[in-house]
Amino acid sequence: MQEFLQYLFSGITNGAIYAVIALGFSTLYSATDLINFAQGEFVMLGALLLMTLWTQVSMPLWAAFPLAVLLVAAVGMVFDRVAIKTVKKPSPILLVLITVGASILFRGGAMLLWGKHSYSVPAFSSISAVEIGGAYLFPQSLWILGVVLVLVAGLNLFYHRTLTGKAMQAVAINKQAAELLGVASRKMTLLAWGLAAGLGAVAGVIISPITMSAYDMGTMLGLKGFCAAMLGGLGNFWGAVVGGVLLGLTEAMGVGYVSSSLKDAIAFLLLLLILYAKPTGILGKASSHRF
Amino acid sequence: MSAQGEEKPAPVLQLEGVSKSFGGVRAARDVSFSVAPGHIHAVIGPNGAGKTTLFNIITGVYAPDSGRIRFEGADVGGRPVHRRVAMGIARTFQNVELFSGMSVLENVMVGLHVRTRCGFLGAIARPPWVKREEKLARETALDWLRFVGMEKVAETPAGDLPFGWQRLVEIARSLASRPRLLLLDEPAAGLNARETRDLGALLKRIRAQGVTLLLVEHDMSLTMEISDRIMVLDQGVKIAEGTPREVQADKKVLSAYLGG
Amino acid sequence: MADKKERSGSPGQEPPEPVPAGATPRRAGLGQRLLPYAGYLVVTAGLCAYGLWADNYYYTQLLTFIGIHTLLAVGLNMVMGYAGQISLGHAAFFGLGAYTTGALTVHLSWPPLAALPAALAVPALVAFIVGMPTLKLHGYYLGMGTLGFGMIIHILFREWTALTGGPNGLVGIPVLSAGPVSLAGGKTYLFLVWGAVLLSFGMCSRIVHSRVGRALSAIHFSEQAAAAVGVDTMRAKLEVFVFSAALAALAGFLYAHMVTFISPSSFSFLVSIRIVAMVVIGGMASIWGSLFGAGLLTLLPEWLHVFSEYEVMIYGLVLVVVMIFFPQGLTRGVLDAYERARRRKTGAGPSA
Ligand SMILES: Nc1ncnc2c1ncn2[C@@H]1O[C@H](COP(=O)(O)OP(=O)(O)OP(=O)(O)O)[C@@H](O)[C@H]1O
Ligand SMILES: [Mg+2]
Repeated sequence: MQEFLQYLFSGITNGAIYAVIALGFSTLYSATDLINFAQGEFVMLGALLLMTLWTQVSMPLWAAFPLAVLLVAAVGMVFDRVAIKTVKKPSPILLVLITVGASILFRGGAMLLWGKHSYSVPAFSSISAVEIGGAYLFPQSLWILGVVLVLVAGLNLFYHRTLTGKAMQAVAINKQAAELLGVASRKMTLLAWGLAAGLGAVAGVIISPITMSAYDMGTMLGLKGFCAAMLGGLGNFWGAVVGGVLLGLTEAMGVGYVSSSLKDAIAFLLLLLILYAKPTGILGKASSHRF
Repeated sequence: MSAQGEEKPAPVLQLEGVSKSFGGVRAARDVSFSVAPGHIHAVIGPNGAGKTTLFNIITGVYAPDSGRIRFEGADVGGRPVHRRVAMGIARTFQNVELFSGMSVLENVMVGLHVRTRCGFLGAIARPPWVKREEKLARETALDWLRFVGMEKVAETPAGDLPFGWQRLVEIARSLASRPRLLLLDEPAAGLNARETRDLGALLKRIRAQGVTLLLVEHDMSLTMEISDRIMVLDQGVKIAEGTPREVQADKKVLSAYLGG
Repeated sequence: MADKKERSGSPGQEPPEPVPAGATPRRAGLGQRLLPYAGYLVVTAGLCAYGLWADNYYYTQLLTFIGIHTLLAVGLNMVMGYAGQISLGHAAFFGLGAYTTGALTVHLSWPPLAALPAALAVPALVAFIVGMPTLKLHGYYLGMGTLGFGMIIHILFREWTALTGGPNGLVGIPVLSAGPVSLAGGKTYLFLVWGAVLLSFGMCSRIVHSRVGRALSAIHFSEQAAAAVGVDTMRAKLEVFVFSAALAALAGFLYAHMVTFISPSSFSFLVSIRIVAMVVIGGMASIWGSLFGAGLLTLLPEWLHVFSEYEVMIYGLVLVVVMIFFPQGLTRGVLDAYERARRRKTGAGPSA
């Protein structure tokens, strides 16, 4: 029981982070039909920027956190303008290669800036762990859950209560129609990139106290976020959240009860299973071309 | 069969109660009809009537929600698209689907795919029979291009041709698979009057080769002139069928076209 | 398409030359008939010259590596350039080839040549099994699927310690020998590797210029249209995927017996991307371009020593820049740009 609780806590904590990454994938996908292979690198940038701003530049956390997120969001928007908008005839294969290339570029850039070291940052608050049924719940986990809840609620409000959010959804549903109604879909695309990158950065920031951050942490996290997004149905807001938690739990239980060497393989096995199980559902609108 | 009395030859194609819907759109509703061998059988109907959908069902691009499709007596229901081509069903597309970067000749040679055998290992080893087959394929493809009058542009990338010529190349490509049933989706769309006349003559020459034609066409004078039989679809429902004369006289057809 | 131009000889000609029906359209001279073989002749001549005159261990190693990378690139090019199917996990097959021969020779003491069939068959079989569900995917999903597959295999190399030696790698892989004749290291091995490269080029170009190659090319332009014309697209994709896995496995075999030590890091995601970058630089759907891409990406890091820190970044930059500006690949892109510039110049000439 105690064991189970411990796995549960760690599963939900990691799951919440995967959920945020998955939300990034979903946001971008629903606005642009694009899957960004560099999404994990935004997570890495978020984590390392926070580390620098907080522990090296000694900014207070309440300033370093948003600043790191905004900087990464800006990187995402610049990337859209420089590398995605400039493609003359975008096709999935081209965009995959471009975003994969970008992910490597970001990794390389991070390696130059931060070296190959792994960094750790202290927990956001120095309260000691709470004991529940023999298992420990760390305050950072609460931080993570809190941030994720606020984020999910905020995004939800944004999509349903603000004009911009509604416009973004309109673009997601039908680009041409939205364009006709005067919604500038290019602006929305840019905004979606900013949001997606920012979400990645948030995940990076909140994960940094419970993991070692390094230039190469993004690939794995990106893939797991994608897996979570696929689990919940790509482009589906709540699906991303549920998928993230589900993946986190599966991973934690797999590591706990089966083998810790499985940890990273679980996500990929799940991903492959999902891809295989419903290729037609996934093909859906984007790639099947109507005669 | 002979119990039917008359010496009606067995139909090439037979649809029985075929239905298909996309979400709320019912693109085909309980459609039944049969196509006699050697006929030019036209399917007409207003935009969105479900003509292309019917073609997609017959060729296997979509599986019908219900109903049966028989080709030369055999139920082709579960067979994949490429198997149906091998059986003898070929088609062209409403929005020409040539392989744009490949040459015209290569396009037609892809049409020969089901009539040639060279596989992966054959291609690597390239034994004499493969060389012979390749040479023959090239000649056959050129023959088909000559048949539609496009041999002059054999080496041109297909995407560089004017639209009307692309249509002809597509017909050559579909003929290359030696079909017994050829489905043509609006072959005259985008052609000028003279080209349309030539097309009519071409379709008759194709029929003379023993190929049965199922034709979707909006150009009424062409359709009326060359068709042996016409079926009218409206909102997925077959509303009339008969000779051109009968169909022209049908009130329901008129009102469907005038949006009644 | 690249092969089109090779065959018809005169790419610049504007109006479609009428091909007289029946008559043989081209009367090729000896020179023109040899043209398709020019690449093979040049490479063979270059190797002979190197074999006779040069004797530098470092360069021999480097050239051997180029050969191995070329094998990887040309195989992936068949899948990506010709059939239009993305694969971000090709290093897995490279690794499976290397580890299969490594495990058989180290643990079971098989002679390397006896391990060769298994080293080709195991990855090919894996490609077949994995390809069946994976190749049903398209675009991004195919990218993610192959990436995930590559990661799983990489984890397998790292975790299956009994067989692979885990993160520390597998040591003591024997060098190649055919009976009493040692093929180890140096120029002999160089020739062996390049023999394999030329052989693979021959095979690939035969495939490209065949019924199968046309089908692949058709799939590249529109998979659904290809199926509607009668191509069994799944089978065609699967075959070329297995073939390309076998080429990567051959590269892995040659690599393992050259360096005699393998570890998971040689078959990571980054290696997959490096192969993709080679294809992209060399040009999609260009067999000889693969040689160029592999050569460039093997030599550059050696030439620019500072490069090492930036190496990873440069692959990324290359991918992004080439894909944005020359989606057909660098060689094709540069050729096209040159062609355009020349035409503009000659076009402007008379009016000026
Ligand atoms: N793949 C699909 N997904 C959703 N709806 C479809 C699909 N294919 C066809 N439809 C719908 O089915 C209906 C019939 O379309 P279809 O293309 O068969 O008409 P058509 O008779 O060929 O029209 P046209 O003369 O314009 O070519 C239309 O309402 C169309 O929007
Ligand atoms: Mg139609």
